Amino acid sequence: MKRKSPSKSPSKAASVSRRVFTAGLGAVGFTAGIAPFNIVRAQGAALKVGVLLPRSGFQAGIGQDCQRGVDIAAGLLKDMGLPNLQIMNADTETNVDVARSRAEKLIGEGAQVLMGAFDSGQSSAIAQVAEQKGIPYVINIAAAPPITEQGYKFVFRNFPTAGMILGGAFTAQKEIFAAVGSAPKTAVFMHVNDTFGTSMAGGIGAVMPKFDMPYKIVETIAYDPAARDLAVEISKAKATGADALVMVSRLNDAILLTREMVKQRWSPMAIMSMGPGWYEDQYLKTLGKLADGPLSFVPWYDPNKPLSKTLEEALAKTNPGVSLNTNHVYTFEALLIAADAYKRAGSADPKALADAIRATNITNNVSPGPGIQFDAKGQNDKLKISGIQNRGGKLLTVAPKEAANAKAEWPLTPYDKRA
Amino acid sequence: MLSRLFENVSRRALVLLGVLLVGLFGAPIVASDYLLTVLILILYFAYIGQAWNIMMGFAGQLSLGHALYVGLGAYTAAALYVHFGIGPWLGLLVAVPIAGLAGAFIGYLAFRFKVGGVYFAILTIAVAEFARVGFDHLSWTNGSSGLFLPVAQYTRNDLWLLRGQPVMFYYILLVAVVLAFVFCRALLQSRIGYFWLAIREDEEAARSAGIDTFRYKMIAVIISSAMTSFAGVIYAFYYNNLFPEQVFHISRSIEIILGPIVGGVGTLFGPIIGAFLLTGMSETLIAALHALGVDIPGAKQVFYGFCLLLVIAALPDGIWPWLSRRIGLSEREK
Repeated sequence: MKRKSPSKSPSKAASVSRRVFTAGLGAVGFTAGIAPFNIVRAQGAALKVGVLLPRSGFQAGIGQDCQRGVDIAAGLLKDMGLPNLQIMNADTETNVDVARSRAEKLIGEGAQVLMGAFDSGQSSAIAQVAEQKGIPYVINIAAAPPITEQGYKFVFRNFPTAGMILGGAFTAQKEIFAAVGSAPKTAVFMHVNDTFGTSMAGGIGAVMPKFDMPYKIVETIAYDPAARDLAVEISKAKATGADALVMVSRLNDAILLTREMVKQRWSPMAIMSMGPGWYEDQYLKTLGKLADGPLSFVPWYDPNKPLSKTLEEALAKTNPGVSLNTNHVYTFEALLIAADAYKRAGSADPKALADAIRATNITNNVSPGPGIQFDAKGQNDKLKISGIQNRGGKLLTVAPKEAANAKAEWPLTPYDKRA
Repeated sequence: MLSRLFENVSRRALVLLGVLLVGLFGAPIVASDYLLTVLILILYFAYIGQAWNIMMGFAGQLSLGHALYVGLGAYTAAALYVHFGIGPWLGLLVAVPIAGLAGAFIGYLAFRFKVGGVYFAILTIAVAEFARVGFDHLSWTNGSSGLFLPVAQYTRNDLWLLRGQPVMFYYILLVAVVLAFVFCRALLQSRIGYFWLAIREDEEAARSAGIDTFRYKMIAVIISSAMTSFAGVIYAFYYNNLFPEQVFHISRSIEIILGPIVGGVGTLFGPIIGAFLLTGMSETLIAALHALGVDIPGAKQVFYGFCLLLVIAALPDGIWPWLSRRIGLSEREK
C-alpha cells in the first residue's frame, strides 16, 4: 500500500499550525515562567530583608532551626521600637549554586538587605552577589575567616571566625580554671574523624600552644562519627590516666561516649567540648542526670542581658521544648542589626544602610561581649566565646565572667556517685 | 570534515539550531541578573552533562562520580592561581591532564580487571569519595576550611584571569556548550563513535568484531574526564570558593547526570534539554510557589524526583527522542 507523502498530507496545514501553536504556547509559558523573576515590588515602609537559609539538603535541620530565630524576630523588634521588616525567605538547599541564584532573585525582587546563610561556602557566594549589587549583607553564622578578608564594603559578619572560636575557647577554659582554683595537668583529646572534627583538631593543635594552657594533650584519639560502639576508644582514653577529656564530637557519639564512660566507670576531672553534641537538647533529654557536668565552649548568648531573657521567652512561646541556642541567637541578631541600621539611616538606600551598619553600636543585644560593632573589615571582633555547663537539664553559662549566670561545678561529679 | 558534521542534518534542524543559538547569544541583553544566573547554571549543567554523556551515553560506562573531575579541575586551577598567580587558562593545561589521568586510572583499574556495570559505577563513587576525604586533609588547598580565591569589584571583564561579571561566564559557558556539542557530534560521526556505540550495545559482540574495547572505553573515560575538568575550572573562578564537602560530594555527581537522563542518554541534545528543563522548570516552580505565597523548602528536590519518575515511566529514552519525533527531527537528527 502506497503511503501518502507527509508533505502532501491534508493534515499538513493543521500540523504546522499545531507546531506554531505549541511554539507559541511554549513562548507564553516561558515568558510567564520568567516574569516573576523580574517583578520588583513597590517599596513599602518595612525594610525588605532577603533571608537565605539552608532549609533543605543536608543542613536542613540547622537551617530550619535558624528560621525559628527569624520567626520570632518580627514581634521582638517591634517591641524594641525598631522598624518593621518584610521577610523574604529563600531556601539555599545547602548548595552554593542555589545560594548565589537565590541571592540574585531576592535582590531582583527588591530585597534591600540580605541575611544568612549559616554555611561559609554559601555565605561566600552570597557575599559576592551582594558586593556586586551593592546590597548590604549581614552574615548570621559562618566562621571561615576569608569571607571578611576580601575588602568587601557591603558584607558584615556578627559571628566569630574559626580562629576567634578556638582562641575564645582556650581563654574561657583558663578563666574557669582560675575561678575554681584547679586545673587539669593532662588531657586526652578525642575527636570525630570527619571534616569538622579533623579541621578542629588541626586548629586546636595550631592555636593551643599560643595560650600556654596548664594541661598537655597526652593522647589524641580519632574515631568514626558513625561508630556504634566506642568502648575501645574510652578504654584507651581511660588508660592514659588523663585528668580531663577534651572533645570535638557530634550528638550521637557524645551520647555513646557518655554511656561508655558510665559503663567503664571513668569520670575525668572535666569534659571540655569544643563543638556540638554535649549541650544539645537531645543529649540532655536522652541522658538525664548523666548529662550533667560537661563543659562546652561555643558562640552562645549572655543570659544576663535583658534581651536574652526576652528572646528565650519568645522562643518558648512559639517553640515549646526548644532551648535557645546559637542558631536562634545569631540569626535574630542579624535581623536586629538590619532593623537598627534602617532606623538610623532613615532610608533603605543600600549605601546609607551599609554606612549605618558599619557604624552599628548595639549594646542591648544577646551575644556575649560588649555589644555589636564592626571593624573596618565588617567583622564583629568583640564577640566572646562562652563556656556553658549542663546542670539539671539546663545550660548554665560559667564563662566569661561578665556573661556568667553560674559558677562552674568542678570537678565533674563521678558518674557512679549520681543518684 | 565540516561537511561530515552536517551530514544527515535536515534544514529544519539547522534552522532550529540557529534560532536557539541566536536566542542564547542574545539572552543576556534581555535577561535580568537572576535569570542570567539561572542560565549560567543551565549552561554549566548542559556542558558537564555532555561530557558525562560521552562516557555513559556513547560508550555505555556508568559513572556516578563525575564530581571527581569537576573537583580536580576546580582545585588544580584555583590552587595554582592562589599560590602562584597562574591564570586559569594556564591552570587548565595542568587541570585537564590531571583529570584525564584520574579518569585513566579508574578506567584502567576497571577495564583491566573486567569491572563493569554497577561495580564500575561503585568504583567511580569510591574514587570521588576518596578524593573528597583526601582534599579534606590537604593543607595546600586549605583542607576542609575551604579554598578561597581573592575577589574584588571588577569594573571590566578580564577574560585571561576569569575575573569579572557573570555575563562573561555566561558567554564562556555558552561557547563551551557549543564546542562540546560540535565535538560530540564529530566524535559520533567518526570511527571511534561507531565503536563506542557498538560497545554500548553489546561489548562481547563488539570485541568479536575486532574492536579493541579496552582501548576505546579508555578513550571515552579520558575524554569525558578531561572535558569535565574544564567545568571545574569555570566553577572555581565563578564561585571563588571551594570546599571538598561541596565540590566532590556525591550529590554533585547525581546533579550532573540528572540532565542527560531526563533529556535523553546518548543523544546530543539530551543533556542540553535536560539542563534547561530541570533547572529552568524548577526555578519557575519556586517562583510560581513564591508568587502564590507558598514557601516549601525542598520543593525543587521533590520536583526533580517527580520528573525522574515521569521520565522513567513515560519516556524511558528521555525527553529529546520523544520531542524530536514530535517536531519531525527524529529520523535524521538524534
